Amino acid sequence: MPTINGSDVKRVVVACDAGMGSSVMVASTLRSKLSPLGIEVVHTPVDEIPADASVVMCHQGLAQRAQTKVPDTVVIPFAIFMGDPAFAKVENAIKTGQTLES
Amino acid sequence: MSTPDIQASQANKNRTGNGVAASVQRVGRFLSGMIMPNIGAFVAWGLITALFIETGWLPNEGLAEMVSPMITYLLPLLIGYTGGRMVHGQRGAVIGAIVTAGVIAGASVPMFLGAMLAGPAAAWVLKQFDKAVEGKVKSGFEMLVDNFSLGIIGAALAIVGKWAIGPVVTQLVNWAGNGVDFLVNHNLLPLASLIVEPAKVLFLNNAINHGVFTPLGSIDVEETGRSILFMVESNPGPGLGMLLAFMVAGPKMLRGSIPGVAIIHFFGGIHEVYFPYILMKPKLIASTILGGMTGVLVGTLMGNGLSGPPSPGSIFAYFAVCPPNAIVGMLLQVTLAAVVSFVVAWFLLKTDKTTRKENEEFDAAQAHAAATAAA
Repeated sequence: MPTINGSDVKRVVVACDAGMGSSVMVASTLRSKLSPLGIEVVHTPVDEIPADASVVMCHQGLAQRAQTKVPDTVVIPFAIFMGDPAFAKVENAIKTGQTLES
Repeated sequence: MSTPDIQASQANKNRTGNGVAASVQRVGRFLSGMIMPNIGAFVAWGLITALFIETGWLPNEGLAEMVSPMITYLLPLLIGYTGGRMVHGQRGAVIGAIVTAGVIAGASVPMFLGAMLAGPAAAWVLKQFDKAVEGKVKSGFEMLVDNFSLGIIGAALAIVGKWAIGPVVTQLVNWAGNGVDFLVNHNLLPLASLIVEPAKVLFLNNAINHGVFTPLGSIDVEETGRSILFMVESNPGPGLGMLLAFMVAGPKMLRGSIPGVAIIHFFGGIHEVYFPYILMKPKLIASTILGGMTGVLVGTLMGNGLSGPPSPGSIFAYFAVCPPNAIVGMLLQVTLAAVVSFVVAWFLLKTDKTTRKENEEFDAAQAHAAATAAA
């Protein structure tokens, strides 16, 4: 299982099926929390996740496809689109340098 | 267990047949991926249709002349271009458009499906050629080879498109259209919700809506100025009803987030935000299925339809592409779908033992916290 230390995270990619709807919404929420920390947050379709992503976040229904696309990148799934604890987990790990794992 | 743990474990437990779902998602993504980047063009076409055709808001014969070239040429060419680009970048995009032009010339109906076939196929052929000659072209001749390989292969495949793909796909589209007409005329279209609503929450919403309904519906619009097919998957009513039931009868610890979710779903048109609540309580799928069926039935009985795909599936998009004499029917279709979905979901949540237990624990925890705070 791929892992990454929170302090090494540079680029968080939020993925959804089309890369046009829910991922844009989640990315903009996440961006407001993470860009003050110098982290870039982008959104893409799940089949076009770039190789230079530090961490990928997507709904758990798409997590398998995301992990297949980038087998060596940490994929953090979430269950609900607003207020899911996975978002806080990633934010905390980045702030405190904890390890994140797929 | 905390809220998130319960959610995660329930959702994981309910994630059945994930391997199959992932591959179906991928195929669907390939089809919808050709349509979705071009939705803006569909919206432009839908608006022009809704405004200027004879039965529109501001009938104008001159401006209505734009409707036909857009659906016959613009939209299929964009789809063929995008499909080609998905397979083989810019060169794939160009050859996809060339061959789509051939397919259009060989067809008598709008060639969305032909473009979805021809665009990627043509790009794939060019990709094979480019691979075969890679590194074998003499220095200084690359541009010559690049341009003429694309031109020659494109011209040849355009002829194939005109003679073979256009007529064959015309026939297929006519059959599909007859099938849909049969369903509509016999009031059987609501049965589609049995497949559509469960597929939606498995994140096949775009695949179904833009892979199937958008192309078929657009052909309807050319004939009659509107299509009910645009309203099968995109109706925001069933999801809204389910969410509202969740807000008054769902697990208490999740209720607080629902108003925001409902607004994003119903007004923002991002239906994905309601899927997690059904994945948590899978029996709730019955509510969106019955709500969806109600909506489609009301729509077919009243002869409802939209002039273009409402994408995203927001109530605002519904108004934007709704013909004037279908507004009342559209509102009824959305509202009744929401009401039925609400009632079914409310009943299912009220009788759900897990929900009752979760809420008792939640109340106990609240009472305990209040007592501790008071002391």
